Amino acid sequence: MSTPTESILNIGRTDDETALPAESFIVKYPTVARVVRVCFAYAFVALAVGGLFGVIQALHRTNVIRVIDSADYYTLLTAHGVFLAIVFTIFFLAGVFAWANTRSLERPPLNPRFTWLWVGTMSAGTLLSGGSILAGLVAEIDVSADVLFTFYAPLQAHPLFYIGLALFVVGTWLAGIDWFRQYLDWRADNPDERIPLQSFMVLTTMLMWYLSTLGVAIEVVVFLIPWSLGLMPAPTPLLTRTLFWFFGHPVVYFWLMPAYLMWYTVLPKLSGGRLFSDPLARVVFVLFLLLSTPVGIHHQYLDPGIAEGFKFIAMTNTMFLLLPSLLTAFTVVASVEHGARQNGGEGYFGWLTALPWRDPAFTGMMLAGLMFAAGGFSGMVNAGMNINYLVHNTIWVPGHFHLTVGTAVALTFMAAAYWLVPRVTGRALYSRPIGLFQVVLWFIGMTFMSAAMHRGGLAGIPRRTAEPEYSKFTFEAVVGTISSLRLQIAFGGVLLFVSLVIFLANIALTAANNEPATGLKTDLPPALSGPEQSPQVLDELKLWAIIAIVLVILAYSLPLWSIINGAGFYQDGITASPQVVQPVLEVLI
Amino acid sequence: MHVHNYEKLWLLASLALIVGFISTIVYGAVGAGVVMVNDEGGQVNASGLSEHPEFNDPGVRKVGPNEYEAYVVAQQFAFSPDPIEVPANSTVTFYVTSRDVVHGFEVAGTNANAMVVPGEVSKMTVEFNETDEYGVVCNEYCGQAHHDMAGEVIVKEPGNFTLDDAGESTTAQATNGTDETANGTGES
Amino acid sequence: MVEAEAGSETPADVQAPDAYADGTLVRDPEVENPLGQEDFDPKGTLALLLVYFIILTLMWTFMYYVEFLGNGPTVIG
Repeated sequence: MSTPTESILNIGRTDDETALPAESFIVKYPTVARVVRVCFAYAFVALAVGGLFGVIQALHRTNVIRVIDSADYYTLLTAHGVFLAIVFTIFFLAGVFAWANTRSLERPPLNPRFTWLWVGTMSAGTLLSGGSILAGLVAEIDVSADVLFTFYAPLQAHPLFYIGLALFVVGTWLAGIDWFRQYLDWRADNPDERIPLQSFMVLTTMLMWYLSTLGVAIEVVVFLIPWSLGLMPAPTPLLTRTLFWFFGHPVVYFWLMPAYLMWYTVLPKLSGGRLFSDPLARVVFVLFLLLSTPVGIHHQYLDPGIAEGFKFIAMTNTMFLLLPSLLTAFTVVASVEHGARQNGGEGYFGWLTALPWRDPAFTGMMLAGLMFAAGGFSGMVNAGMNINYLVHNTIWVPGHFHLTVGTAVALTFMAAAYWLVPRVTGRALYSRPIGLFQVVLWFIGMTFMSAAMHRGGLAGIPRRTAEPEYSKFTFEAVVGTISSLRLQIAFGGVLLFVSLVIFLANIALTAANNEPATGLKTDLPPALSGPEQSPQVLDELKLWAIIAIVLVILAYSLPLWSIINGAGFYQDGITASPQVVQPVLEVLI
Repeated sequence: MHVHNYEKLWLLASLALIVGFISTIVYGAVGAGVVMVNDEGGQVNASGLSEHPEFNDPGVRKVGPNEYEAYVVAQQFAFSPDPIEVPANSTVTFYVTSRDVVHGFEVAGTNANAMVVPGEVSKMTVEFNETDEYGVVCNEYCGQAHHDMAGEVIVKEPGNFTLDDAGESTTAQATNGTDETANGTGES
Repeated sequence: MVEAEAGSETPADVQAPDAYADGTLVRDPEVENPLGQEDFDPKGTLALLLVYFIILTLMWTFMYYVEFLGNGPTVIG
């Protein structure tokens, strides 16, 4: 890619044989390493922009510092959601999956052009959607997309926003095809082998993604794009909401799966141990494939137009979806404990001291896991159907997902970057102590911000609002005061932003570091309980895909039918707001 | 398949947790009588609310001894009627719909909370046992002035609470006032 | 690498001298007594998760019965 990278590669080949060994990823698969670098670059730029908007919002809605109009708050909020929850997470996922699939199958993708095609498609989608959101900040440009991450119709965005989203999703589909082709190529050479674990994780996750993105693809391509272009009338709001949440819950597992992949396959190594159970890791990913999608209605517990029975079914499915995460907690912690015991760790809890806490990659992932345990609890409350009345659309909900996607995922990705970036750049990490400080700072910042958000939610403070208070009434906190909660949110948000800046600087300095990375010879250790101890049926991807489709049909066909039966595809009386284009039909008539 | 005994134990504990959660929720529905907002409210024409027999005149009606119905219209960026006045020791069924985009209807500090989706009616029955004043928050983003969208529910002493013969306006002046405001915003 | 993931070969195969030399590990890479599958009982994990289980149960009970059911009025129809 660049001359400095080539010089690093040359160091490995000529001057210093041990610098970049022949078996290191970057030397074996230079093209894939470049793909990973490009994906990470997109991810980190999105992280920078989304994070900046995040701190502006945290200070604005708590009334600490105001640099924008309250009306522009929602433009920044849209950008914050889309840049962080779509662009950052999914580009990072693409990088991790490209690395993991190649590494575990021991072969690059069949056709580099095809690989660049999906990178290019995702990039084009990002630029269109991201650009149309940011254009909302510039009065001179008549393009905006102030519709937030959920883009509920009949709020309307510029067509470019929807087209960009569609392109982005198509890019991820192509990426999945690339990884499946890589797998089939491997399968041709290894007809009787078990699928390597990392590749298994990539493939099951992508199957889940194909199934779940059908919802958003239909919503955007069939309904929203023709509507925003003025070709078709406004779709039934409840129908497009339901299609969105068909995708909107599985997408959270799409963010999470690369983090799980790192926890299962890299974290044990970092701790000095081995994966406790390969069979259970496979079971967990199969469960996510089966159960991630037929649960989306739990985001619509308080929606009219959906019978309580459908909500109950979604609730039970969601509760059983806790199972793979609870199993993950055991398997991952046991793998780390395996490392600690070999390090001389003793006792029921004393082993925790025998772990490499000075390693930012290890500590970052562990703190992310700890926060996920807390976020798991608030998620259980969200999932609890009738208790959802207490917290629905209050600031409790962003409090919850800043623990999950904002920490379990984002902090794991940052920690993973400290380990993975040297492997795809060939450059040594600029500073481990700074990295350690950064991950701990994120943890502290998130503790302040998220705890206060949860408590604010219990007081009834809504999410997604620019103003801290209303003229007609005040909120009452159970413990402490509302103003102290606001200060904690603002303080936590500032710590998170500082942590983010330090992370980006550390990575940028790593990319410019002329010192070659060390330790690249190493491979990931095998599991204690290997795949041969699990039934062969776990690797039957077709079977699991078919069962997943059947479960989705069972969970969604009746609710969708009843919505369409009640309100139709195009309900009378729905009009766009704001209206970006005059409906062509109305103009013609 | 090889699974360590401790992990089997954890698997059982996890299943017990899941079953426990579901049981609690079933208790909430059956024992405590919490009902989810559902499809009973039916559909309406969002831009034809002025022709609707109830939503054409948002307000509170008496339908039985201590039983009331409150028809509420949410629109950018107000609720009507505002305030919603009901007597204490009453059972109130809210019918909430939207004239434009998706809104929220959250009686702050209570469990009365629902999405308001244009074309659909959110029906919620709530008991108000004591006099109180609650804020009503739109808790779903609905446009640039979303943060200004709030209302009130005022639970009055039954003695101070009156409806006229038509059963339409509560303490007449307040409701008439908000109706005018609502119509004004609707047309602008 | 496939082999590395594919099996549970003896730990000795795994602990190549370079195995943990990328600075991510504080101890000597040559593990003297590698723990095999049969010898390792993750009692610390079980203990931690039982603590988590208790916290979850108590907090769920508090959230459901105190915070939620005590937060009336509630939707009953």
